[in-house]
Formats: sequence, C-alpha cells, structure tokens
Amino acid sequence: MASGQVSKRVKFKSSVKDPGTPGRLFLTLERLMFKPNSPNSATKLNMEFRFVKNHKYTKEGSNKAPMLNLTSSQGVSYIFEFESYDDLHVCKECVGKALSKTGETPKPIDTSEVPSEQPSTEELLLRMNMLRENGELQKLHMRFVSDGILTEAEFWATRKKLLGGNFSKKSKQRTGLKSFVLSDTKPSTDGRTNKVTFTLTPEIVREVFAEKPAVHQAYLNLVPRKMSERDFWSKYCRAEYLHHAKNANAGAAAAAEAAEDEELALFLKPDDILASETRRKIRCVDPTLDMEADEGDDYTHLPDHGIVRDGSKEITESQHEHYRRTLSQELNRHAAVVLQGTPIDEEQLKDTQTVAEALKLSKQGENASNEETDMNTNQDRLSRISKMIEIDDLQASSDLPLAPLSIKDPRDYFDSQQATALKNSRDTSIGNDPVKRILSTEESYASLRDSISHVKTTGLINPIITPEAAVKVLSVLTHNISSTKYDIGKNHGLSFLDTLPNTSKEELLYHWTSLQELLRHYWSSYPITTAYLYTKVSRLKDAMSKIDSQLQELKESVQSDLRHQVTLLVRPMQQAIEAAMQHHDAELQKRSARSGERSNGYT
Amino acid sequence: MKFQIEDVTVCFPYDHIYPEQYSYMVELKRALDAKGHCLLEMPTGTGKTIALLSLITSYTLSKPQGAIKLIYCTRTVHEMEKTLAELKLLHNYQVKHLGPAAKILAIGLSSRKNLCVNPNVLEANNRDSVDAACRKRTASWVRALSAENPNVETCEFFENYERTASGAVLPPGVYTLQDLRAFGKEKGWCPYFLARHMVQLANVVVYSYQYLLDPKVAGIISKEMQKESVVVFDEAHNIDNVCIEALSVSVRRQTLDGASRNISRIEQEINRFKATDANRLRDEYKRLVNGLALSGNLPGSDSWLSNPALPDDILREAVPGNIRRAEHFLHVLRRLLQYLTVRLDTEDVEKESPISFVASINNQAGIDQKTLKFCYDRLHSLMLTLEITDTDDFLHVQTICDFATLVGTYSRGFSIIIEPFDERMPHIPDPVLQLSCHDASLAIKPVFDRFQSVVITSGTLSPIDLYPRLLNFHPVVSRSFKMSLTRDCICPMVLTRGSDQLPVSTKFDMRSDPGVVRNYGKLLVEMVSIVPDGIVCFFVSYSYMDGIINTWNESGLLKDVLVVGYVSSFHLVFLMILLFQEIMQHKLVFIETQDVVETTLALDNYRRACDCGRGAVFFSVARGKVAEGIDFDRHYGRLVIMFGIPFQYTLSKILLARLEYLRDTFQIKEGDFLTFDALRQAAQCVGRVIRSKADYGMMIFADKRYSRHDKRSKLPGWILSHLRDAHLNLSTDMALHIAREFLRKMAQPYDKTGSSGKKTLLSQEDLEKMDGSGLQERLY
Repeated sequence: MASGQVSKRVKFKSSVKDPGTPGRLFLTLERLMFKPNSPNSATKLNMEFRFVKNHKYTKEGSNKAPMLNLTSSQGVSYIFEFESYDDLHVCKECVGKALSKTGETPKPIDTSEVPSEQPSTEELLLRMNMLRENGELQKLHMRFVSDGILTEAEFWATRKKLLGGNFSKKSKQRTGLKSFVLSDTKPSTDGRTNKVTFTLTPEIVREVFAEKPAVHQAYLNLVPRKMSERDFWSKYCRAEYLHHAKNANAGAAAAAEAAEDEELALFLKPDDILASETRRKIRCVDPTLDMEADEGDDYTHLPDHGIVRDGSKEITESQHEHYRRTLSQELNRHAAVVLQGTPIDEEQLKDTQTVAEALKLSKQGENASNEETDMNTNQDRLSRISKMIEIDDLQASSDLPLAPLSIKDPRDYFDSQQATALKNSRDTSIGNDPVKRILSTEESYASLRDSISHVKTTGLINPIITPEAAVKVLSVLTHNISSTKYDIGKNHGLSFLDTLPNTSKEELLYHWTSLQELLRHYWSSYPITTAYLYTKVSRLKDAMSKIDSQLQELKESVQSDLRHQVTLLVRPMQQAIEAAMQHHDAELQKRSARSGERSNGYT
Repeated sequence: MKFQIEDVTVCFPYDHIYPEQYSYMVELKRALDAKGHCLLEMPTGTGKTIALLSLITSYTLSKPQGAIKLIYCTRTVHEMEKTLAELKLLHNYQVKHLGPAAKILAIGLSSRKNLCVNPNVLEANNRDSVDAACRKRTASWVRALSAENPNVETCEFFENYERTASGAVLPPGVYTLQDLRAFGKEKGWCPYFLARHMVQLANVVVYSYQYLLDPKVAGIISKEMQKESVVVFDEAHNIDNVCIEALSVSVRRQTLDGASRNISRIEQEINRFKATDANRLRDEYKRLVNGLALSGNLPGSDSWLSNPALPDDILREAVPGNIRRAEHFLHVLRRLLQYLTVRLDTEDVEKESPISFVASINNQAGIDQKTLKFCYDRLHSLMLTLEITDTDDFLHVQTICDFATLVGTYSRGFSIIIEPFDERMPHIPDPVLQLSCHDASLAIKPVFDRFQSVVITSGTLSPIDLYPRLLNFHPVVSRSFKMSLTRDCICPMVLTRGSDQLPVSTKFDMRSDPGVVRNYGKLLVEMVSIVPDGIVCFFVSYSYMDGIINTWNESGLLKDVLVVGYVSSFHLVFLMILLFQEIMQHKLVFIETQDVVETTLALDNYRRACDCGRGAVFFSVARGKVAEGIDFDRHYGRLVIMFGIPFQYTLSKILLARLEYLRDTFQIKEGDFLTFDALRQAAQCVGRVIRSKADYGMMIFADKRYSRHDKRSKLPGWILSHLRDAHLNLSTDMALHIAREFLRKMAQPYDKTGSSGKKTLLSQEDLEKMDGSGLQERLY
C-alpha cells in the first residue's frame, strides 16, 4: 500500500453476464494490470490509467456481487468482480487516486493523426503495448510516422500478424538449437604422449543424450550405481574414438572391443531405442515421400532379380556391418534432433545428472501424448498433401497458415550478414580475421623461434627448452586453431561490430532497421495501381535517398582503419537502395512510355 | 473451369490453365481418337498429371457408350499417392460441377505390405515375409484345415471379405492406399484382396510400372484388363531400364546354396506326402499330363508370383514327361544347380549367348531347352501340391527356376555374363552369373499389343525420336512441348571453375583431387549463405558422396595433425577449415543413405526444416531413389547443384553388353547412348525444382564437361532455352553473383498472366475467345 501497489484476487469480465476469468488485479498509480491464473488464458490486461475515463462500483449491501467497472476513453468497459467488499474498497480508493492524478498530467499522445480506417480499441491498446515493449519499434515509429513518411495505418498494416491473436503466444516459442554439431568432439592431443583428451560440457551432454537415446538410457541405468560418472564418459569416448578411427577395419576393431567389454558394447551397438522410434516415425511419414512403401511394392528387385552388377549399386565390404555407423547417419540424426528442438532450457544445463533427468521427464510426457498426436498428425498430413498438390498460380491463392518469424533481436540477423561479408574478405586475405588471435599466435611462434635460435647460439643444453615452455607454446597454438574455427559466425561477441565505437555502431544498426522498414513498404506498393500508392512510393523514395546520404556520411566519418570494414557493411544496404531506385526509374519510364502510347492512340 | 476440345467438354479443376496444358490435352485427345500410342514430353512444373487426368476422365464421361478405363502407372508408391491426391482434387471438382454422374471409382493398388491391416501379419518386417504370413492364413488348404481345427490361425479380415463375397464392393470415390486401409478396417474386409478384386471394376487404377511390365506380377494382377484401356506411363524417361530389369535374373553362390536347401526341404515334403497322402502327387501327375491348367481357376489367395516369361512366350502345352514326376523334377533341378555351381567357379569374366549356354547345359547336364522352359511352372505346381505357405523361404529355388525359364525361352536380346568378382573390389571373390536383358522392347511389347492407347510421358524424353526405337513402337502422336514462362523463373548455370579458377570435374582422373573437392565444398558453402530455404545437391554416386562428405568433415582433423608437424603450413590448412561446420551454420544437413527408412525420415525432416524456415541442404545421389521421384519444388528447392555428370559405371560388363546390343540392333553409338543416359539423369535431378510458373529455382551444373556442346546439347530443350551463353563458363564467384541477382529479381512482384504479348495463363474466356487453331498459332 505504501508503494501505491495494490494486488487483489478478482474475476475479470467483459460484460456483467460473462462468467469471468479468475486472476489477480494489480493496481499502481499509473496503471492497472490483470494477470489470469491459468497461464494459457488469452485475457490479459495492461493499461494505463490515463485511458480510464470513468469508474463505477456496486454499493455494499445491495444483493450484487462486489464489482468495479472501469470505462476507458474509447468506451470499452472492464469489469472486475472481487471476493469481498473490503477488497473492492481498497481498490476503489486506489483507482480514485490514480484517476485524479492522471487528470492533471497532459496527454502525451498526439491526437492529430487520424488513420484512414479507425482501428478498434483493443488494437490501439495492443499497438501501444507493442511500442512500449519494443524500443526498436518505437524508434521506427517515431522516425517514420511522426515525420509523415508513413501513415499510422501503413506502419501497422505490415505488422498485422504481430497484432493478431497469437501475439501473446509468441514469447512461448521455444528457443532453437544451434545447427552445428557440438558433440563431434574431435579429440585433442597434447603432442607429447599418446593421451587423447575429450572435453564435455553440459551442452554437449545434452546433445549426446538427445541424439543417442541408448547412451542416455545407459547413463540412467549405470550412473552412479554401477560406475562413476567419469568412468562412464571415458567408456563413451573410447567408443566414439573407435568409431571415428579412420582405418579400413574400424568395424572389426569395434566388434572385437565390444566382445570383450559388456558396457563398451552398449555404446558400440546400434541404438535399439532409436530403431523403435524410427519404426514409429516411419508410420506417420508423409505418404508422398514414403520410399519405404515403395520398396514393399518392388517385385522386380526380389533377391537376385533385376540387374545386380551394372555399377549403379554400391558395395560394402565389411562383414561387421552391425558395428558400422556412418557419418551420414550421424548427421541425419543430429539434424533431426536440432529440428525437433529441446525441452531443456538453459537453466537446466548445469550438470549431466540434471540434464539426464530432465530429458527423461520430457520423454515420458512425449510418449503419453504420442498416441493422440499420431491421430492429429494424420489429419494434418492429409490436408497438407491436398494443399501441396494444388498448382498455386492457376488458382486464386488460399492463405497458408504462417508461423510468425520471431527474431529475438533483428541485430543478430545483421550480424550474420556482416559475418558473411567479412568471410568474403577473409578469403582474399587470410590474416585479418580475428586480429588479436593471429597476433598471439605469431607471438608464441616468435618466442618458439627465439628459443630455437637461443639454442643454436648457446648450443644444446639438456633440456633444450624447458618442457613447460614447449607445452605452453603448443597448447596456445593448438588452442587458437581449434577456437578460431568456431569463431566464424558463432561468437557474435567478438564480431567486428563490437570493435566499432558505440555511437557509430548504434547508428549503423538504426539505419539498417529503418532501411529494412522502408524497403518493405516500398516493394509492397508495387505494382502501382492507384495515385495513393504513387505518392507513397515517392515519399519512400525520398526517405531512402536521405538514408543513403546519411550512410555515405557515416562511412566518411569513421576512422580510416575501420573504413574498409564499414564499407563492407554498408555496401549491401546501398545496393538495396540502388536496386529500389533503379526499379523506380524504370517503372517511371515505362509508365511515361505507356501513357505516351495511349495518347497517340487517342489522337 | 469448363471448356471444349472438339467434341469433349473438359472439366479442369482450376480457374486458369497454362497454354501448354491445353495443347497437351489437344494432342492427347488426338491420340485417343486415333486409338493409338503417343509420346509426349512436357517440362516438369507445367501440371502434366492434372492435364492428363482431366482430359482422360472428361473423355470417358463424354463417351458413355464405350467406357474407357485408365491404367495409370507410376514408378513409385509415393508418386502413386501424389497422383491419387490430384485425382481426388479433380474428382471433387467434377462431382461438384457435373453432379453425381461424374462419380468414378479410382483406386491405388500396392503389395500386401502396404495394404494389409492385420496386425499379426504386419509384424513381419519385409515384404516377402508379409506375403508369406498372409498366405499362411489365407491359402485355401489352410482355411479348409481351420474349419476342422480351430487352432489354425486364419485372417479375420480375409474371412469377412470372403463371407461377404460379391457384396464386398467399394462405393465410388478416389481411394489412396491410406483410404483403402481405413475402409478395410472399418468394414472388417481385407483391403488387399478387395482392391485386387476392384481393379477389374474401377474406372481408374493407379499402380506401379511393374504391375504391367514385369510378367511375374502382371500375370496375376493385370491379366484381365480390357483392351479399351488407356495406359499411361508417367515419368517414363527410365522406362527402358525398368523393362530390361524386369527380365533380368542373377545367380550367386548364396542363391545356389539356398536353392539346394530348398530342394532338400521339398524332398522331405514329398516323402511325407508319399507316406500320408500319395494320391495327391498322383493327381498332380495326371493334371500335368493334360497340360498346365493352373491359371484362371486358382483362388486369389493361392496365387503366387507368376511365370517370369512374357505371356505370349509361355507354351500352352503339356509339361515334358521327364519332369512330370516330382522326384524327377527335383533331380533335374539338382543337376541344374550342379552345372551352375561349376560355371560360377571361374577365374575370368565370361560372356555367352543364351543359345550356347542352353546347348552347354544340354551337353553337360542333360537338360534340354524345353525342360528348362517349364521349370518355373513345374515348381509352382509342385509347391501348390505340397501346400507350402512359407514362400519367403523358397525364394532361392524360385530364382533358379526363373532363370531356367527365361534362358530356355529367349534366344535373342539377352546375354549371360559370369563375373568372378566386382570390378571395383577385385580382392573379394563374389561370383555372379547374370542373365541380363538388353532389349527394352521385349517386356513392353505385350502392353503395346494389348491396349488400344499407351501414353508415354515425362519431363525429359529428349531426344524424343530415340524412345520409339528403344521400345520398338509407332506412336501416332510424338510431341515435345515448350514451357511458356511468365518470367525467367529457372536459372540454369554451368560452373566450370572453382573459386581459385581451377577446373572442377568428376572425371575419373580428377574426382579425388583435393582441389576439386575443396572447390565443390566452397561452392556449397557460398551458396548456403545466400540461398534461402532448401538446397539439393546431387552427387554421381554413393561412394563419391560419402568420400566428399568425409573429406569435408575431416579437413579439421587433418589440420590438427599437420599443426604438430609444420607450423608454417598453418595458413594453407586454414583454408580447409571445416567446410562442413560452415555449411551447418547456415542450414541443417540431411543425407540420402542406402537405407530407405533412414532416407525417408531424412526427407521428411528436410521438408519440415524448410517449412519452418530454418532451411536445409539435402545430399542425394543421381540415379538414387530420391532423384527418381521426389519433388523439390517451391521452398523445398531453390537451388539444385549437380556435382559432376552422372555417367554409368562404364566398366560394367552388363553395360558394355547392352551397348554392343544397341549398336548392332539400333545403330546407336556407345558414346551417344552413354551421354544421353547421363544427361537425362542430370536433367531429371535438376528438373524437380519447378512446380508451377509462380515457382522459381536455380540449377548449377558443376563440371567443366557441361560446357562442351556435345554434352550440353543433350539436355532437354526447356533447360537449354534458359541457359544463356554468358552462363556457360562460370567460376564460383560469378555464379554467386548471378544467384544473388536472380534471387533478388524473383522476389519482385509480377503480373501472373504474362504481360508482354504472350499469354502464359489462360482463363475460360480466353479459351472461348480463340478456337483451338488460333491458340496453336499463338504458341508456336
């Protein structure tokens, strides 16, 4: 109360007869918020008091339930039913205070802009919320709508999907997994002994468990009762090492080892759990690409029928097929797991045990729901096939359901683009990738050489170099190599953008987002059919040429050593602008030519 | 929309039609009117299937007096499903606009494995075991036995179906395999036997090529189809290969061992019957004296794969006396096995004509040609007599009898090749005796003779005059259609050099060159970073693909090793850094393997990855299962890269024998045929990116040999017409630039009906405005 925050158990209703959604109402001096108890309920409310015009409440002693009715400036009423009159009183007071306070503050919203079609109140609210939550969007909105380059309606028209009902669900989208193989743990050798080291992190463990359910199962069964965590993983790595050993009879070696060691065999054997999962999945695969069914229909290729040896069939030589696992299989499996996503969040990635348990739980849930989903997927599949079959341009298009693209931070996308740009530059001159790292490599290399020349001058002493120094040099070298390869695109933290001064970085990104917005509007207004579109396009064109010149300025303003990189970053943007301009001019020419033609025809 | 083609009202399930679809229908109708065969090439992505289905169904509807049956052959089951889905769309439209009179019955037919609904039978994991498990429950003698002994398991679905007898019919509609199974489950009838029964009554039957071409299957399924049928072979560019495969058999050591085990088992059975039921064998003997009256009066559930020879070549006369007795027959088989074992045991490759082979069998084993010819039927009869149901165990002896029958029946168009080991692995002895057919016209001849119209159609039939020669028939219509494009939505390119300007090729002496492998890798790495959604890569063979993937993946390992050795070569190695991880950074990677189940799942996941916007790369093999029939249209394939030219393995003895035969009989030069065959495969691989004119895609032919005129000119016209001269000799960076430009251009909005002069999309009014002849002129 002291801080002005009030929270009460209420039922939220859109009308008096509505049974209502149970939840909690939070009141502060500035705003009121309603959170439903069940998280998947769509009715949420978060509005500022300055939009509330009026409030009514039921009198104590009347037969009615204690209710508070707030009317917004657009005339929509929000009704809250309280558990007791005491609660109502507290809130009533708070609302009264808040309303009297907002009455004094001037309304910051510019009422002068009148969109062509009046959006509903809910939509306005949603828009407001979005602007508030999304700073990026707010900036864009400020820049274009306030400057009159885009109208309010135009600005929001491209974001209809965001405003649609599933906006609230957006945040529930699961974060995807990264595409590259983590668990492809290349052993690192230290160069001195035959010791091979594997490094495992909880992230890698998650991947291993997800891709190899048998390993997961074995872990749950064996650790920690039968063997220690450490033993388990060294067995696992041994098995991996055997698989990857690139000699002709890898299969044979694996078979031999497996025969001796029962636990090791667990890792080397083909995955039974995976096999049964495969069998289940193949049953609900899209029939228009089910090649397995095809095999069942092929009577030409009865064993020993058809042409056997015309070179088109492949040959395998090992009789230890059972123990062979190909890279292709691993890659397919990996991609499937990535596609499926993981139910484990980042917080659960603490240690192996938690990862294993969490995966187990999620799997149980999955199995339970499998039965029903199988039926549903069947239906989905059929409708999808019939949609796929249609030829799209012979028919008026039916809107396919779209999953909204949710890019957490549009900058990531920019980052990856510039990573490509940088990569191109790297191809021409290898050295300039991560400047610091190459330096340190050279340093250590130089020190190695120094010590060699030192040895040359002073002659051989025993030991030639101190073992510690040698190890240090080698480990630095190897470390750098294995880490640089992951830098490409993966490590955004070290990307070039961050080496820029903060202001120019911000500016660059800001230009980029605004340009994207403009281009989107620009291209969507073609073909120009109305005068309205025509003026819109010319407005957009002007705005773009403004950005173009700003980019030019930016390019010139940065320090000379960074200029090349900045140019690389700016170039795609400028190209895009150029393409748009060219299109505009060509269209203009065509238009004038056509109109000329027509006037000729008339005279 | 509805429109007239001469006297036929065509009902087409879309609001618009492509001009080439219209002309396709006109040509097709001419062929139907003339009751002759036709050969039609039309690029993929122009809606061939739907044009064909609408015309033929409309044609049948307009001629109520002589109902025509459509037999639509696809190469694969999944294509069958696709066709049926299109037919369903069409059927719904026709029923909606023409009323219930337009109702037809259309079914897809497949093997027991794909249609069975009995859970106990389905437990068997391969096709042959499913067939055997079904027979174990449905053979007439098993059912007779179960009437006395309730412990004998039968199939309730089959029993229900039999009980309902003629009452078991499918109501009109379009039934996919899934629909058939669902219907069968609901009614409690066996979908497989129901479908086989309904094949005779259906208006449209969709099934696999083999059901018409392979005499073993056609003999049971398709023998009663009426003459007034239109047979369509879709995607028929490989039809010659299907035909020769249908008549080819090979024998290995395992086959011989298996067959001799089979024979011992048969012997035991014979002895058992002699002891218990000697009459049965005597009856069989009597029946054989009167001639083989097997066919026709067997209950459906007893029928087994039929004679491997073509129906016209099967003798309708009594079985030779020396194999009428079961013991004598087994004796003959034993001698045959012995002879084959001796022949297999050779050091050198041997090639022989069937005539001399039969002569030497006669000399050394004392089996004459006529006896050989009857082997298959004699075995079939014996197995029925012995009431053997686990037919899957007897495949080996069946193979031997197939071989004997074929070798005894055909004297030309075949050769026998014995190889002691595979050329590519000379250190592993694996002798094979192959009876290989070279003449594709043999297997397809009965089809041309029996049915009034046979339509052979595909996206790639160039050169179109070659097919009538290979298949030995005279089409009344033979046309190749161009594609009228609204915009340049396909962009073929020939990439001859990598990013370092060195040539790339899969030519034998270059393919394992690390430079080429790296250049191919760089090309893909660059492309994955600029092309949205799906990319498909085709390699020339599995082994080449495996090799490349391993190299790409392990170039990192190589680096680790090198660093310890030479610090100074650091920069060189840096270039090779994990191409694979770079690819994975942009897209998920899926790979076709030789395991169909795995490949199917990989494809399914690939599609899902493209659907959800993540984007993916699919690695596949030309001539593989995926290249054969999976579409990579729309976002499933924005770019296809063909790494190399998919030539056949030219050292293969069988291929050489076939080339020799082609040269001698059809005067087709070896080199020409090889190039033709390789280029049709390449065209087939890249041709699957386009589904409609609204779709777009790029094709990269990455091999320097494509820039040569003699190779390139064998590509189908619709690709060549888009292959600009400037795109004939590209390096990776140039290709990258072109790709960027192309993708940007394709993202622009455009006028779908085609603006500049030529209409590429016709509405009903357009068609009405111009009569057929006017349209023809406009198009060509």
